[in-house]
Amino acid sequence: MTEHPVQLVVEDDLKRNRLTVFFRLILAIPHLIWAFLWSIAVFFAAIANWIVTLIAGRPAGSLHRFLSRYVRYLAHLYAYLWLVANPYPGFVGEEGEYPIEVRLPPPEAQSRWKTLLRIVLALPAVVLASALGSAGNAFAGGSGRSRTYSYNTSSLGTAVAVLGWFASLARGRMPKGLRDAGAYSVGYNAQVLAYVLLLTDRYPNADPTAMLADVEPPPLHPVHLVGDAHDLRRSRVIVFFRLLLALPHLVWLALWSIAAIIVAILNWFVTLFAGTPARGFHRFLSRYVRYALHVAAFLYLAANPFPGFAGEAGSYPLDLELPERERQNRWKTGFRVILVVPAAVVNSALSSALIVAAVFTWFVALVRGSAPWGLRNLSAYALRYSAQVNAYVFLLTDTYPHASPLEGTAPAQLTFDETA
Amino acid sequence: MTPRLAARGVLLVALAAVWALSAYLLWQTKVPSSLHLPHLDPRTYFTAAQLRATASFSRVNDLIFWGTTLAQIAALAVYARWGIRWARESAAGPIGTGMLLGMLGFALVWAVELPFGVLDLWWQKRHHLSSVGYVSYLFGGWFSLGGQFVFLCFALAIVMGFARKLGERWWIAAAPAFVGLVLLFAFISPYLTPTHRLHNAALRAVATRLEAEEHVGHVPIDVETVRDVTSLPNAEAMGIGPSRRVVLWDTLVDGRFSRPELTIVIAHELGHLARNHIWKAVGWYALFAFPGAFLIARATRRRGGMGQAEAVPLALLVFVVLGLLALPLENAISRHREAEADWMALRTTHDPAAATALFRRFVPATLDEPSPSTIDYLLLENHPTIMQRIAMAQAWRQSAKK
Repeated sequence: MTEHPVQLVVEDDLKRNRLTVFFRLILAIPHLIWAFLWSIAVFFAAIANWIVTLIAGRPAGSLHRFLSRYVRYLAHLYAYLWLVANPYPGFVGEEGEYPIEVRLPPPEAQSRWKTLLRIVLALPAVVLASALGSAGNAFAGGSGRSRTYSYNTSSLGTAVAVLGWFASLARGRMPKGLRDAGAYSVGYNAQVLAYVLLLTDRYPNADPTAMLADVEPPPLHPVHLVGDAHDLRRSRVIVFFRLLLALPHLVWLALWSIAAIIVAILNWFVTLFAGTPARGFHRFLSRYVRYALHVAAFLYLAANPFPGFAGEAGSYPLDLELPERERQNRWKTGFRVILVVPAAVVNSALSSALIVAAVFTWFVALVRGSAPWGLRNLSAYALRYSAQVNAYVFLLTDTYPHASPLEGTAPAQLTFDETA
Repeated sequence: MTPRLAARGVLLVALAAVWALSAYLLWQTKVPSSLHLPHLDPRTYFTAAQLRATASFSRVNDLIFWGTTLAQIAALAVYARWGIRWARESAAGPIGTGMLLGMLGFALVWAVELPFGVLDLWWQKRHHLSSVGYVSYLFGGWFSLGGQFVFLCFALAIVMGFARKLGERWWIAAAPAFVGLVLLFAFISPYLTPTHRLHNAALRAVATRLEAEEHVGHVPIDVETVRDVTSLPNAEAMGIGPSRRVVLWDTLVDGRFSRPELTIVIAHELGHLARNHIWKAVGWYALFAFPGAFLIARATRRRGGMGQAEAVPLALLVFVVLGLLALPLENAISRHREAEADWMALRTTHDPAAATALFRRFVPATLDEPSPSTIDYLLLENHPTIMQRIAMAQAWRQSAKK
């Protein structure tokens, strides 16, 4: 597949100024007012551009430039608001002046049918954008003041902003995982807005790995996905009855969860005193976490086959690598339930995106018999993060969940030249 | 004849004798064997218009029944032949794959039955017997299918689990397990039915008197709200031991039926409890569960037995066919129990006139044929026909006079 014409460029160094972070929302007020006024103008410009594109088959150059600046400006603004970038953005959406940048295509010929039906076609992407952070709503809300810039409070962008605010204040740096997650939201929203405003007729790509292809991946987390990522085939019958077919698994998972919670409490005491989880408990909870991933992957259509009931390693195309039992920091163990709260917030935000992705995958898979690659990767990201949160809560690892949409890579092995 | 074969033959005869003896004991009834039901002419009790309406209603109902049954069997036959191909969509082991195949079989049956279900609903709505919307019906059906999936998986887990442990003899262990589950369900089902206590104090007083006369101890009389979905009147006795209760549908206590008629209904339901009909129903279930499970075990041998997922599509077909074949017998047993409950009600209330009035009122309220055809009688009637029930009231009156 060719590269998406709307590209995200991330040149942020993660450093944050504590003072501007503390007052971030207040500092953004002039931008919010300006963005609101700009949105009103964009509303009329977008209608004019739609008519021109419909007649001429390509957008007018001047309108395209104006709308491109608007999309870029909103990307800068959201990046600033969500603490994905540090510097105060400019007011005109200038290209190349901000660490979180959006590259937009020049005016090009567009399909008239796609242009005519653009608003309808864009709806699924707008809904997904809303779950990730509501740049799509910003445009739609231009006609109604109460809706303009009203965030979806459970969105990934909002979660990144709130957690990033505390982290940046404390450390003077934005955690890379949160920054990457926020950047992905900014990028996807820019693609949606560019599509709605007819800057391109390429549909937004929800694939986080493609969006952040140029960003350095994080280190490999001990809890990570393995298996056949390219298994996109979906049986239509199994897709149609997916929710009902998952019911026995959900019942079994609920029963297993009760046992897992009891075992986790016992394991907490063992780990706190011995410094290492009990072998039997670790094995039992590993199976539980893996089984929960299998069930969720099936339920949310991130994988095709009906999973087994035992959470066996290697039994499912979307599987989980879990660490062996290892020594854990007692402080982290003691306060695990409190420490996990930020990760649970991100997990909750990702769950909204996961549900939206599953609903759209359901329709697409019913028609095409296969899952869209972008939505599959978004689902895999959400499921991986959820598994990392579970593994952290259930004391399988004391490595904190990594919010980056990118799968980590193992550090390169150091080799010694014997002849040196 | 080898000694082994002879021993098998003796064992088989002994088991058949135990089965026959158990059936004989369960068949015992308080209805006198000498009771002769008079032949009554439906035209004496019902107007020509009522008889025409019930006949017309029944004709379409019959078509729907046969359509549903044939579509179900055809779908399961096709599934038994080709359903195994869905096994490749499973990453689970044999039992999990068996569950998937079982659920898909049910889903297929649901899909082919759906048009008949919608037709049935349309027919009932046309006669003002149902007020369920089509959308509610479709969504309700969808969710109830989910419930069926869960129970089916549970059942398959039991059967396949035993089959993988015990091989072909799984049925010996599985049948008692299912009997236990039926017993458990009989106990808990009253707690799963949303009801409220009967508000009518006069009727409650009647129920208290009937409880004493039928020696059943205290049994709560509850009301279930169903008027949002149906106008059909109905009542049932539920539960065993401490969970026993009589549940009246609110369509029965909406003023259409007089107090003497409702007294008959309550006495009938208490009669079920007095004669331990729920226990007996579990007993009958046990008598059918063993041979039924044995036949399924035999039928699926060529597919590797019930321990293999490949056997599940065929097992579903065999299960449904066996159920259909057993239906006349099952209905006969049910009618036998219902007749006894009617007799208990007459014996307790001494009011054959109210019983006759009640049964006459059922015809316009339910559009049940007073005297259905033999095939309907065998396959669809799990209660005595209206004319049989009226005849029993008349017979009781005659016997009381003597």
